[in-house]
Amino acid sequence: MASEQTPKSASPLQVAKAVLGSFLGIRGRAAHESDVTQLKPAQVIIAGLIGAAIFVLSLVLLVRFIVGSAA
Amino acid sequence: MSAVIDSGHAHDEHAHGPYGGVMRWVTTTNHKDIGTLYLWFSFTMFLVGGMLALAIRAELFQPGLQFWHPEFFNQLTTMHGLIMVFGAIMPAFVGFANWQVPMMIGAPDMAFARLNNWSFWMLPVAATLLVGSFFVPGGASAAGWTIYAPLSTQMGPGMDLAIFALHIMGASSIMGSINIITTILNMRAPGMTLIRMPLFVWTWLITAYLLIAVMPVLAGAITMLLTDRHFGTSFFNAAGGGDPVMFQHIFWFFGHPEVYIMILPGFGIISQVIPAFSRKPLFGYSSMVYATASIAVLSFIVWAHHMFTVGMPTAGILFFMYATVLIAVPTGVKVFNWLTTMWRGSMSFETPMLFAVGFIFVFTMGGFTGLILAIMPIDIQLQDTYYVVAHFHYVLVAGSLFSLFAGFYFWVPKWTGRMYDEKLGKWHFWLSIIFFNVTFFPMHFLGLAGMPRRIPDYALQFAGFNEIASIGAFAFGLSQILFLWIALKVTVLGRGEEAGQRPWDGADTLEWTHLPSPAPYHSFHEQPVLG
Ligand code: HEM
Ligand SMILES: [Cu+2]
Repeated sequence: MASEQTPKSASPLQVAKAVLGSFLGIRGRAAHESDVTQLKPAQVIIAGLIGAAIFVLSLVLLVRFIVGSAA
Repeated sequence: MSAVIDSGHAHDEHAHGPYGGVMRWVTTTNHKDIGTLYLWFSFTMFLVGGMLALAIRAELFQPGLQFWHPEFFNQLTTMHGLIMVFGAIMPAFVGFANWQVPMMIGAPDMAFARLNNWSFWMLPVAATLLVGSFFVPGGASAAGWTIYAPLSTQMGPGMDLAIFALHIMGASSIMGSINIITTILNMRAPGMTLIRMPLFVWTWLITAYLLIAVMPVLAGAITMLLTDRHFGTSFFNAAGGGDPVMFQHIFWFFGHPEVYIMILPGFGIISQVIPAFSRKPLFGYSSMVYATASIAVLSFIVWAHHMFTVGMPTAGILFFMYATVLIAVPTGVKVFNWLTTMWRGSMSFETPMLFAVGFIFVFTMGGFTGLILAIMPIDIQLQDTYYVVAHFHYVLVAGSLFSLFAGFYFWVPKWTGRMYDEKLGKWHFWLSIIFFNVTFFPMHFLGLAGMPRRIPDYALQFAGFNEIASIGAFAFGLSQILFLWIALKVTVLGRGEEAGQRPWDGADTLEWTHLPSPAPYHSFHEQPVLG
């Protein structure tokens, strides 16, 4: 849709950053712009699921650690 | 199609106008007509639900039983909740989506015009089932809007009617969401890239995905209820090997995303109104999009904060506690961005802006009480008390409902070509926000003092605050009659100053910059050219 096509695809790092930015709710305009032009929906969805899984797992680990040390 | 007549006042020559009379509304596939239907339907349900609320507050004005039998009182609270959530708030946002999404992205209509008609016309059927259930033997469902088993596996046919109504409304929401997603992803004008999309459109895109994800979960839960009730299954019956607590897990896996479904499009409206009346672009547009997305994702992993008192392993409690508190971060980002947008803007306070600023103020209070409830040791005391009632009315009435009012005053000049009555609009705002707080603020104290929710009678020490709350509720209800008059005056009666194409100089989305007021029956038949 954009007039100058930018078919450059995104690096895994950029995908990860986008998802992290999404979880925090903070992302700069320029980064967002390149996200929107370079990320493919499938990439974002997969990275989002991985991100959610990591988030859940780290919470579970944290909770386990706390419960374990209390007992 | 031989009955299609040219209605004369159509703006474009090649466009045909609507049918005349009632058939226009029955057969319409026009996104603006359907938006109007949704909005009138939801406002009607708002008044019905409001009447039930006043019946509740009348009973609670004094301790003791004055008006209703306890069984009927429970029907009132249940139906008030169901009607407000599924009949008033959700369809109202869909009405806004219908009107605004095509105009804001430069599309001629919704992607599936006939599906759109069908999504709407299922709703009156569902509403009839809900309201009609008061008149069947045993009366309406009295299990609360959360229809917990085993209460809900025991009631009379009113419960079945509620289940059918929920099924129908769920199907309607899913079809509406498919339509909205397809429209947004496929029908944007050239140049309307995702990054330029107005926030209202973004929030609806994300909300539509949420709806598609969780409405089937609710449908599953109530189908299991139905088979437990009539076909001998025991999903939720411990005697048959089932588990009533499982109902709560499934319900809240739907229920928590559902509360975000009711607020995210409201965030979208506020994100249009605040910049327009601050005459500044929205601060942190990208953060807003990302915050919305993350709220949506995180909303799936916090559901058991509604179940702290049910009994859970400590690890589970801590998990849901931490996750819930973390979800407040992206919500806080949004509030921060709205405030920063207003900072040093040249603000003016017409009615839409009043409601938007009022929204920020009261919604934030609701967010804070949510955080307090998310702390499990506190929630053990407060669960099922009036504190929870106060929390969710702060986020739903002062949040969702006020954002709807803001959106109505903001866009009605575009819809009708006329300005609403500004003086009455301001009255409506001040009456609403004052009496909202008179009604619901005392409920915090009631909850802290231990008054349980969903009861028709209470101990004497709660009398004072209940009296205040009831007075506030009746005044709030009356203030909404003023809104009915304001809306009738500008829409049906067509009274008010001519609005002109762009009455709000700070508003810069396509419907203001590219379309006259009132927006023609068929807009953007030719794709707009964006710079
Ligand atoms: C900062 C964000 C929020 C947090 C941390 C939060 C937290 C909570 C918690 C812990 C409860 C359970 C209280 C209990 O039953 O003991 C609750 C109930 C509720 N919340 Fe929120 N909430 C938040 C935002 C919202 C929003 C935005 C809405 C809707 C627009 C909402 C609607 C509700 C409703 C309807 C209930 C009561 C459900 C019922 O039992 O009938 N909340 N909230
Ligand atoms: Cu929740």
